Amino acid sequence: MISNFPPGLIMIIGALLIPFLPHIIRQIYMMILVLISAYSLTLGFGIHSTINLMGFDFILFQADSLTLPFAIIFHIAAALNVIYGAHEKHWKQHVSIMSYSGAAIAAVHAGDLFTLFIWWEATAFTSVFLILAGNTYRSYKSAFRYILIQVTSGMFLLAGAIVLLINDGSALLTKFDINSLYGQLIFIAFGIKAAFPLLNGWLQDSYPEASEIGTVALSTFTTKLAIFCFAKCFAGTELLIVIGAIMTFYPIFFAVIENDLRRVLTYSLNNQLGFMIVAIGIGTELAINGAVAHAFAHILYKGLLFMGMGAVLYRVGTCKASELGGLFKYMPITAVCTIIGAISISAFPLFSGFVAKSLIMSALGKEGLVLVYFMLLFASAGVLHHSGIKIPFFAFFAHESGIKTKEAPLNMIVAMIIASALCILIGIFPSTFYQILPYEINYQPYDFSHVVGQLQLLTFAAFAFICLWHFKIYPPELNSTVLNSDWVYRKMLPGVLIPLLKLVEKMNQKFEWILRISFTRTKLFLSDTMLKNKVFDREVGSDTLIVVQIFTVFLILIFIGQFFK
Amino acid sequence: MKILIKKFGKINSSVLLLCIIFLVLELIGHRHGETSIEDFTFFPAFFGFLSCIIIFKIGVSLRSFLMKDEDYYDK
Repeated sequence: MISNFPPGLIMIIGALLIPFLPHIIRQIYMMILVLISAYSLTLGFGIHSTINLMGFDFILFQADSLTLPFAIIFHIAAALNVIYGAHEKHWKQHVSIMSYSGAAIAAVHAGDLFTLFIWWEATAFTSVFLILAGNTYRSYKSAFRYILIQVTSGMFLLAGAIVLLINDGSALLTKFDINSLYGQLIFIAFGIKAAFPLLNGWLQDSYPEASEIGTVALSTFTTKLAIFCFAKCFAGTELLIVIGAIMTFYPIFFAVIENDLRRVLTYSLNNQLGFMIVAIGIGTELAINGAVAHAFAHILYKGLLFMGMGAVLYRVGTCKASELGGLFKYMPITAVCTIIGAISISAFPLFSGFVAKSLIMSALGKEGLVLVYFMLLFASAGVLHHSGIKIPFFAFFAHESGIKTKEAPLNMIVAMIIASALCILIGIFPSTFYQILPYEINYQPYDFSHVVGQLQLLTFAAFAFICLWHFKIYPPELNSTVLNSDWVYRKMLPGVLIPLLKLVEKMNQKFEWILRISFTRTKLFLSDTMLKNKVFDREVGSDTLIVVQIFTVFLILIFIGQFFK
Repeated sequence: MKILIKKFGKINSSVLLLCIIFLVLELIGHRHGETSIEDFTFFPAFFGFLSCIIIFKIGVSLRSFLMKDEDYYDK
């Protein structure tokens, strides 16, 4: 029976018990929950669990070659989060992380849109507490914006599901047509969670405001769930190539000028999602493998980078490049692990990023998409700039900040070392890694051309950065806010709507006053005319006046009625 | 070499050394790219260097209108 239990669900139900357990036992219990959930993955492919409610079959547990790699990496990430958060004594964040991870895993195994919708919303409502755990007024406000946008995404999904159900009589999670109404609604729902251009504001707004543990968990699930959904429902949709290419391209510039290093990582996350979206848009077997491999590797190295910055935040209390520097001598292990994450994301050979990104680049080359290929190549140099160099350099080297601190807690170090080891192992043994991908492939990332080309690209990009820094052309980092698409609803709309509403209110008051005055004056005028000019004798009385008025109304109505004959 | 290390520092000099090694490697073996444009000699090196400079330039120019005070949204 336990094997038929949908993966992830046990984590959500089990999370309810977390508040009643003492600190360390709680962590062991959570690890057991993750292992029990992972056991369901051994069941093989097919539909394993459905439930009939109100005449509708909810497919709770469906496994196939696409769900497996996502389920594996989600479980690994959940386990790493348990270790990374072990120092946190309060239960609140643990409940949130466990149920959030469970909801994301359950969502991956949903077989129909309504089941997906339930878990889609569950990921939003469970994860918002991680942003609130940032425990600042900013995080409080940001959490509200986050939940509003996530729920909006859910509403689009629900609308799409209902339209599909009415049209086709079923709402199975399968490939959708972008030209249909339901396809477009679902596309927007996924697009919001995948942080498409102009819909991405929530990502950079909320993730850096979360707690140090929270951001690591957040960076794993929500956006990658959207990537999974796109791979499942919109593979081969050409529009995604354009959107993905823009996504890889523009966050680079924001990341370069951003001061908060965790926010830099969210721009970088956005840029990495672009690579996956492009690959899904191509839709060939090689490209889909590339997208999945990249999502898998990305969760590890991005998690690792967020862990490194989380450790810095936990120890120092800030993640601002302008205030950090010279931490290498105090936090050497954290620094080395962060550098491994940085090398992996930059796609240096022998690290996970290289074996994953090569698949996407080869797929682009094979399809002859030259412009997009060069956009992604340009973005690769950008990734090196903002994630590969900027993150470790400004946190652990650059100038001497004068901050004295100590190494991250043991549990954080263990989690970072495991993530680092996985990044390296994937890079060294790509053929083993490729075996979990949806389609069988015979691909060799380590050929002379690939390796030398990539090394030249990266070392010369790094050399350019060194030149800029050495010759003091690179400007100093400043405490600042970089405007992003969330500016529209945080500044522009309130800036336009509030004065507009005030104007309407003022006009309303003025009109009301004018109406009142004119009404009173008319009344006075009529009574004057009637009484002073003796239109009606006093003896006629008010009854006659009413009759005359009704008669007049009828006359007017008859008159108007002539026009509609 | 010693002058280079003195002027540039250890890490910077080693990056420069790596750059030269990877250029030499291309001359020894035959490198080809996914697209024909990439087949030009030292193309990735030029592309990497220029991209980084362009990103930096655009980034810095964006500072003037995208960068606001830290408490911009709190006002």
